[in-house]
Amino acid sequence: MDVAAERIDRLEELARAATIDGDDERAKYYVQLARRIAERNRLEFPRSFERFTCDRCDAYLRPGDNARVRLQNGHVVISCDCGAHARYPYDE
Amino acid sequence: MPVRKAISTANKQLMTLTPETLPRHELNGLPVRVVESTDASRVGLEGRVVIETTNTLSVEIREGGDTRVVTVPKSGSVFEFAITDDAADAAKASGTTSKLADTQPDSSTADESDRAGDDIASCRGDGPTDHRHAAGENVAYVTVDGSRLLSRPARRTETNGDSPWQ
Repeated sequence: MDVAAERIDRLEELARAATIDGDDERAKYYVQLARRIAERNRLEFPRSFERFTCDRCDAYLRPGDNARVRLQNGHVVISCDCGAHARYPYDE
Repeated sequence: MPVRKAISTANKQLMTLTPETLPRHELNGLPVRVVESTDASRVGLEGRVVIETTNTLSVEIREGGDTRVVTVPKSGSVFEFAITDDAADAAKASGTTSKLADTQPDSSTADESDRAGDDIASCRGDGPTDHRHAAGENVAYVTVDGSRLLSRPARRTETNGDSPWQ
């Protein structure tokens, strides 16, 4: 694992910790920095990070805190507090 | 994902946070101390890096219950980062730790910062000083001149040349 991938993992932890502390702006800064590192180094964003960040406002999402997770037929909908929805399928 | 997996298994020696990789690694979240600064009032500030910009590090300092964030310019400052446990073990395995010091970080930094000032170009050798606590936890202190960190946070990791024709 190279430095860039490791930085992304560290930033995920930092973003989560910042959100738990209620510091959403700082969490957004960490998410944006991680996205930038991923695109500069042509790395795939880790799935856990991809699924729990908002594509519209870059917030780190914690279900029950600033995100809502609902199951529709065949897919999961994660809604951010900003109003954006993200969907991904699940297998029964 | 398959690509990333293949790469990560290929070079299995982990590029963890070691004294060598620290200037290219993530600084946010690391415990830091300002060893030297052109502004004397910033010397000795101790806390965690919370925000990094091209020219500054913002350090969150805990004092009792409340916290405050101080922005320290990279140029003109010397920082001492503390790397904990697994990273310090990796540093030991790669043979970077120059010596084992039983002193407190406060007493050891006086000479350490002098040497860092002499040899800014190489952070290695001067910087890493392994430090063992009685509790058995490993902490490596790495002293880095702030001018080595002058870069956009996302681009610090890249090692390619600066050719625009990539």
